[in-house]
Amino acid sequence: MSNLRGKFAIIGTGEVPTGRFPEKAAIYHAIESARRAIEDAGIRKEDIDFVMPTASLYNPAFNTELVTCRVIEELGLKNARTNCQIFSGGSSGSCFIKLGGSLIAAGVATCVLCVHADRLGTGVTAQGGIDLFSTAGISPEWEVPYGQHYSSIAALATTRYQHETGCTDEQLAAVCVSNRRWAELNPNAYFRKPLTIDEVLSSKVLSTPLRAKESNMLFDGGSALILSAADRARDLCEKPVYFLGEGSRVTHYVFSQEPDVTRYGWRGAAKDAFTEAGLTPQDIDVAEIYDSYPIFQIIAFEEVGFCKRGEAGAMHLSGDTWPGGKIPTTTNGGMLSQGHTGAGGGVALLVEAARQLMGKAGERQVPGARFALETGTGGTYMDAHVSILGTEIF
Amino acid sequence: MVNPTKPLPVVNEWARPFWDGAREHKLLLQRCSDCGKYVFYPRMCCPECFSSNLEWVESSGRGVVYSFTVVETNAPSAFLQDVPYVVAIVRLEEGVQMLSNIVDWDSTTLKCDMPVTVTFEKLNEEFTLPKFKPI
Repeated sequence: MSNLRGKFAIIGTGEVPTGRFPEKAAIYHAIESARRAIEDAGIRKEDIDFVMPTASLYNPAFNTELVTCRVIEELGLKNARTNCQIFSGGSSGSCFIKLGGSLIAAGVATCVLCVHADRLGTGVTAQGGIDLFSTAGISPEWEVPYGQHYSSIAALATTRYQHETGCTDEQLAAVCVSNRRWAELNPNAYFRKPLTIDEVLSSKVLSTPLRAKESNMLFDGGSALILSAADRARDLCEKPVYFLGEGSRVTHYVFSQEPDVTRYGWRGAAKDAFTEAGLTPQDIDVAEIYDSYPIFQIIAFEEVGFCKRGEAGAMHLSGDTWPGGKIPTTTNGGMLSQGHTGAGGGVALLVEAARQLMGKAGERQVPGARFALETGTGGTYMDAHVSILGTEIF
Repeated sequence: MVNPTKPLPVVNEWARPFWDGAREHKLLLQRCSDCGKYVFYPRMCCPECFSSNLEWVESSGRGVVYSFTVVETNAPSAFLQDVPYVVAIVRLEEGVQMLSNIVDWDSTTLKCDMPVTVTFEKLNEEFTLPKFKPI
């Protein structure tokens, strides 16, 4: 919970397609996403005074470019006074808006450019990606020696959740189908062909019960957001997206120290966010839930309050989360279908939440969306961030 | 193809007694002398009460499987030769949790909450990993 309710707004978003682009340098994704966000907001590039890049995982040299102000120089952001990296893994998007918004509320910044870019699709090999994600965020003393990996982490969460709730393999596969339905409508998504439950269930097993089509895939990509004070936002752009509330919790560093791998910190984080916003889950029109594997979408969906525990699987199977459903969920297709770009998987969800509220989501636009909930989680699901955004301050 | 060697634990100084114990086939935990809480993994101070008075005690080595998975494909390079292998979170009788592998497993009997006991697997002269087997 913060005292930032109604103090700042997202005024523009930019995104490049997610995919494999061997001919494009990593910085391209940052520059182009930022350029599109500036154009979308309709501001002058000279209006930006603070730049927040998130971190790149694929290459320390590129990460250094982000740290050492390359985006500012490339775009000629002549009035940018500060460039400062913000990074909390998959929850970096959630932290972008909280920290950027705090700087605006405190008078340190007036217009903040938040930008993510990475090149995990062509910058690392397939086995290199597996090896990266058997060490990044995994304890080198207590888990790496046992062959831990993000697939086994997702599988450990899935096994226990199924044991406690009776959620079926078919219901888990339905998360992939639901997100693909949205990705079919998203020109920036990598996977856009229709997907069936049978195709998911017949894909090869990675770590029981997790299957290949239930795993995110790593790609190149980028996205960006522009923040400004709420009272200036309406003058700067047509349809600002106001920040209404946030909550967060941290529940572990080493995954095996997590006291409840079927819950994490979502409930407390959501309670704080809804209290600050003055809303309930029934008021939310669009839910952008972090989905690197189906189990994490199911758990967060339940814990933030969209249904009772054990019911999320059935809702994803019946179409409640699909286009035209009761609670449109992860409407860009998520990391399972748009593709995972490192810290950018979460930033992309935030960009999508803002696009939906601005009425700029194209074929997948949720008609009349007023309130959106976004979740972000980093590393091995160690933190839980919930943000609530709206088209108005009420 | 040469299999990459297994990753060795990157040891923090204050955790050294744990690895010395494992080499002698003892599963050592810390216990806080002030609040009595068992602590794993080893810490510099008690995560419950912030005391620095942590003593080393031997665990019973018995616990239950909180969750598990059989890694079948897409394993990290150093573990490709081991598939299928079981990764599990074990809850020890002392109330702490740790990641490990289940050995001597059988896919028909692996389940959540099954009882297990510690066993030890030598990695090299310096490191022995505590693992668990079904009781």
